[in-house]
This record gives sequence, structure tokens and C-alpha cells, in this order.
Amino acid sequence: MRLETRIATLLCAAALPIGAQSVDPKLLLSPPTNAWLTYHGDYTGERHSKLSEITPENISKLKQVWKFQSSQQLKASPIVANGMIYITAPDNLWAIDAHSGKEVWHHQHTKNNAFHIGHRGAAIYKDTVFLTTPDCHLLALNSRNGEVKWDVLIADSAKGFWSTNAPLIVRNHVIVGVAGDFDNLPGTLRSFDADTGKPQWTFYSTPPPSAGDTSSGGATGGQMWNTGTYDPDLNLMFVGTGNPTPVLNGNARPGDNPWTCSIVALNPDTGKLAWGFQVSPHDTHDWDAAEVPVLVDGNFNGQPRKMLLQASRNGYFFVLDRTNGKSLLTKPFAAVNWSKGIDEQGRPIPNPAKEPRKDGALIAPDEGGATNFWPPSFDPKMGLLIVNAKDGYGIYFYKPEHGAYGWAGADYGLAGKGFLRAIDYKTGKIVWEHPYPRGSSSAGVLTTDTDLAITGDAGGNLLAVRSSDGKVVWHENIGRMGGAPVTVELDGKQYLLVTGGNSLFAYALQ
Amino acid sequence: MIPESEMKIITLLGIASIAFGQPPTPQAGPPRPSSTQSPASKARPKSATPQQYSADQIREGEVRFGSQCGFCHGKDAAGGETGPDLTRAELVAQDSHGDKLAPIIRAGRPNAGMPAFPSLTQGELNAIVAFLHTQMDKFAELGGGRRSVEPSDLATGSATAGRVYFDGAGKCASCHSPTGDLAGVGKKYQGLSLLRRMLYPTGQGPAPPTAKATFTLSAGQTVVAPVVAEDDFSVTVLDPLGARQTYERSAVKVKVDDALAAHFDQLGTYTDADMHNVYAYLETLK
Repeated sequence: MRLETRIATLLCAAALPIGAQSVDPKLLLSPPTNAWLTYHGDYTGERHSKLSEITPENISKLKQVWKFQSSQQLKASPIVANGMIYITAPDNLWAIDAHSGKEVWHHQHTKNNAFHIGHRGAAIYKDTVFLTTPDCHLLALNSRNGEVKWDVLIADSAKGFWSTNAPLIVRNHVIVGVAGDFDNLPGTLRSFDADTGKPQWTFYSTPPPSAGDTSSGGATGGQMWNTGTYDPDLNLMFVGTGNPTPVLNGNARPGDNPWTCSIVALNPDTGKLAWGFQVSPHDTHDWDAAEVPVLVDGNFNGQPRKMLLQASRNGYFFVLDRTNGKSLLTKPFAAVNWSKGIDEQGRPIPNPAKEPRKDGALIAPDEGGATNFWPPSFDPKMGLLIVNAKDGYGIYFYKPEHGAYGWAGADYGLAGKGFLRAIDYKTGKIVWEHPYPRGSSSAGVLTTDTDLAITGDAGGNLLAVRSSDGKVVWHENIGRMGGAPVTVELDGKQYLLVTGGNSLFAYALQ
Repeated sequence: MIPESEMKIITLLGIASIAFGQPPTPQAGPPRPSSTQSPASKARPKSATPQQYSADQIREGEVRFGSQCGFCHGKDAAGGETGPDLTRAELVAQDSHGDKLAPIIRAGRPNAGMPAFPSLTQGELNAIVAFLHTQMDKFAELGGGRRSVEPSDLATGSATAGRVYFDGAGKCASCHSPTGDLAGVGKKYQGLSLLRRMLYPTGQGPAPPTAKATFTLSAGQTVVAPVVAEDDFSVTVLDPLGARQTYERSAVKVKVDDALAAHFDQLGTYTDADMHNVYAYLETLK
């Protein structure tokens, strides 16, 4: 909507596009360019925008338009709807005027004692904005004024669950995950009615103790704390599951421990499992497979395919056929030394000698992983998945005295080198990499149709490179980026929204 | 004639060198180990100054610590994801009523990945400090600790094989000497502390810079200074008085070399047996 068109809408309600004050969940199937309606921007998780005003050639004219300062470090990705921005931190949600950067309302959740380690973002449905909280509440807030419509409990935080999750909305389902690594807890994903908050279904990636189900080999864990993706044609949602618990003691849970460290495909109406693929069978290194399962349609080995891509914390890049969960490609994209090769199903084979030991085992990647919660971006023009990665080493210990509850071991990171890496999905090869001189980045990536990849580097710079070859075209120091950049069109102008430190910044061409 | 743009770089040499216009000899030797010994290798520390805290304060500290710090350091402060075991930390042992801990909690340790907590109130900070001292004393009485790594756990290698690797395949001897920089290293550090330093000697806590920037001036002279920060666009070095100077890479000719690069590369080539053997060898250098 150009500026004057927006002014014209002030004349009467009739001039307003249908649903302008409300987000119809059908919009999520083809999001308009003036909105960023979900954590990923759309259901694919490609985090790619068709907007083309900002280019490598003119990006030097990019200037800060406004800055919104919050009271906490922002590790979220903002959502944008109807000229409003919603951004979160643990216990907090701010509604901000997208044109001015001014706060419109702020919701502060009740003080609580659960883990406050970060928050990924909000979700929107009709005129409701959803916020998950550290103490595992799911709040439905009126998008106009922040009024609490309803408040339900996802899980019991007293048992050790907490939530950082940006919910996934599919039709009238609000699908929310929790975390909980420090206690032996079943992997729990739940769906609630977006209108009423009524529970719809629960999917357990590992069976709850009461189920009498031994399929996970005694493992608990497998928490689904990151936001999934969705294919409307298959009516399947995809989400990565976390590591098994006890974390470092693998003896207590023999076998592969399904469905921990896996990608699972679920029916969003019932929560029933369609298929699962384990990226780390019998994980003993805390390598959650919670990274974004990116949905890509394209040719693979000359055949059109519906694929799922994941650059996983364990250092391997996976391409699956998402209709059935069968492997198409498995290749390392970072330093790895823990597997004996790839099995016939495309899964890395864990080397028992690289399990945590009493005298220590030297492992790549380290516990933080080759990548982690921060979302990558897929540039469909280039066929590249661009991700902030790390070659890292850690040392892992386990002895029987460490027990079989929670962490059950000790590990220490030694050193790591950070890179922005571009992976060709057809071959798994690193087409280019941009090394950071020092440290590694935990920022997400955004790509646009103009050969731009935008992220935060290891030194607190907002960084723009060319998607095609990784050449740096622009930077500005804004403080460490904890979330992922997004882009929207407002009044006919392309805006870039990025977090740095405690602030959210809006940029546009001058 | 020194161009004006290079005058600032010259100050890195120090006053004496400016007068004589002589560049110093680049010193890229191995970093000196800091004198702080890792607590993990010693007998468990107890808080050096006995400190009394109220039960309410300790309870508040437990709650506050659990929610703000527990993910990394563990809810019981004995180590969690990525963060060290604070019940064995020398810093906690040396702290008296927050004099050492509070500034670090407020400012964070950005280089070590620890965020700052500037918005904690003084009361909340005091409560966290109270909880940490209580946990340290509690764990000291218990002994062991469920996530502990004892020096005896690590004693599985062969010192003889370690020496062969040190002098041969590991190429350790090309930078280090058992009678030079490593003399007495097995006495100075033990257990996990020695192993971690051997693998990547950044130590725990603030480490001296290991990277050196070499500036080349237009006249061909070189100036070397320790690097404290760098990114794609700038390099920050220390002058002889310890003050920071930042240079845009595009404005100067500068090359950064990290003495630890060889240690990083070695992490990709060690077998676990090599690692334990070299550790066993270093242990003998008392």
C-alpha cells in the first residue's frame, strides 16, 4: 500500500482491504509483502523475500529510520501485520507502530522462576497475538491493546519445562513446544484452539512415564522448542526434536532413542506422526535437531521433488523427501569427528569411541553445535542454504558417578571458528564461506530476490553479502544480533527490521 | 617523513621508539600462561572469607540464579550448558560479599559468551552472591560433585608415547620446549585445567591477547601490537600503556597472526589417545 493509498483508507471502513484489522489464517498460505506474519515469514521456513528495492548496488544508501529500545536483549524475530510489529523477550511482548517505532502497548507476564534464556517470537491469528512464557503459559492477547483473552498452561514448569517458542499457526491450531534438558521429561508438543485456548492434541516425541511404552529405549527428552514448518498440500507440519535425556550418559538409554534428535512430520489436525527421520541416532552430545526444517520444491538429481533441508547442530546437512521422510543427501557442512559414516537410511552412524568417557573424548562439533536455534535462509534463485556455522571442538566426560538424571556428565567447549556458509542443496557442497576473524555468530539469515543475504556477524555488525558469492557489500555496527532479520514493504518502501543488543532497528533506503 | 595518517600507529611503539624511530622486533612467541590456576585441578576451594547470609536471601538467590543463570551454569551452579561449574570457581572462592562477582555479573564476559545483567537490582545481586557462596561450601563438604572430572580420571595415557608425539607428529616442539616455556607446567596446572590448557590455552577468565597485528607503514617499517578485538572491518590493539586503539582495516595495511592457530588446527588432528598421551607427558614436567 503506497502512502496516499493508506491516507485514503482513513476516509471510510469500506476502503479498507478485507480483514485489514485482522489476520485471516488463510493469509499465511500466501503472505502479502507488507507483512511478516509468522516467525519464518511463511510456512516454508525459507526466510526469503521477493522484495527487490534494496540491492547490492544501492545498499550503501541504507539508513536507520527508527530504533526501538527494549529492556532486554532481543533474540526474537519480529512479526509484522497491519502496520504493527510484535516482538518478544522472556515474559515480555511489545506492540510497536511499524512506521514510527513507537510502543503502542506492552504486555509484562507475571514474575516467575523458570529459565529466562531467550525468546524467539510471537504469532498472530485474527486479532489475537500469542506469547509463550518461561513458565510455560500460552497467552492470547488482543492485538489492538494487549488485553489478555485467555491464558492456558502448556506444561508444568515446576517439573523443569520452560518455553521460548514462537508458536506455529495452522488454521485454528496454535502449536507450541517447550524445552527441558535438565530433567528427564517426555518430549512434548501441544496444539490449542486459537479462538478458545481449548487443548486439541499432544504429541510426545518420547513416551511419558505413564505410557508403559519402551520404544525410546528408556530415553526421555526430544523437546520441540523451535518453530516448525508446514506443507498445506501434504497437510503435514515438520519440526525438529531435541536431544535425549539423560544428556551425556548414553548407557542408561540403549538403542537409537526415537524420536529424539529427529525431524518428525505430523498431521496438524491430530498430532499423529506421519514419519520420523533421526539425524543423530543415540545422541550423547546435546545436539538437538531443533534447527529449522526448510521446505524447498525443486529438482534433485533431475527429478522434481518436495524436499526438506536441515543444517543440523550435529554438523551434517540433510536433504529429505518430505512426502515420506526418505533421505536424498547427507553431507557434513562443518568439522565433525563423531561418526563412522552414513548408514543406508542416510543417518550418521555414531562412533561409540566418541561417546563421553571418564578420561574425556575430543569431539567436533562442540556442545553448542555446528549451528543452533538461529534460522538459516534458502535462496531459491541460487539454490543455496545460507547458515551461520561453526567449526568447534569440545571435550566430553561421563562416568557412572555422574548418574542418569538430567545432564549426567560434563563437557567443556575448547575453541571454535565461525563462518557464514552457503550450501548447495543438490550436492551438499559449501559453495562459498565467509570466515569471521574472531568468534562465531548466533544470528539468523534473510535472503532477498536481489542476490542479498543479510545477517549479523560475530562482531556486532549487521552484515550484507551477495548470496551468489558471499562478497560483503555493506555493514553497520548495531550490537550483537540475537534474532533473525525480516523485511516488509510499508508505504511502497522496503524496510529491513533487525535486532541488535536490546534494540530493534528499522532500515530503509534514504 | 611519516605521513600524518600513520602517526597514531607509531605511538604503538612507545615513547622511546618514537624518539629513535625504530620498530620493535616482532614478538610472536607463545603466550605466557596466566598465573591463575584453574580450581578444577586443585582441592576444592571454599569461600576464603567466611560469609553469613540469611536463609531468605539464599532462597531468593536460588530462585534468581535458577532463572537467570541456571541454563548455562546449572540450577545448582555446578555447571550446565556451556557455563562452568561455579561451585569450584576460584573467583567465587576469592569473592567477599560480591566484590569480585557483582562487577562480572553486571558487565558479563562478552568474549567468553557470558551476557551482561545490568538490570539486576542490588538486592537480587546480593542474593545470587549469597546462593553461590552457600553452594560452594555445600559442595566442598560433599566432595566429588556429580559433574566433576578428577585428575585421576584423566590418567590413561602414556608419557613416553606423549613425548614421541610432542617431538614428532604433533610438532609441539616447533613452538614449545619442556625445559623452556613448559618447564614446571605439570606442577603449575593439574587435571582438567592442564588438559584444557594443553588443547587450547586461553585459560579461564580474562586471558592475555594471543593474536598480534603487524602494521606495515608506507616506508616499509612494521609495527607489532597485541590484538584485543577484530572483525571484518576493524582491528583493535593495545598500545604500550595498555590503552585501546582501533583501526579501520581499509585505512591501514595490517595483518593479524594468532599464535593459537596451530592449537586450533591440532584439535582436528589429535586422536583421543594422542591427547591423553601428551597430557601424560606434560604431567611429568614438574
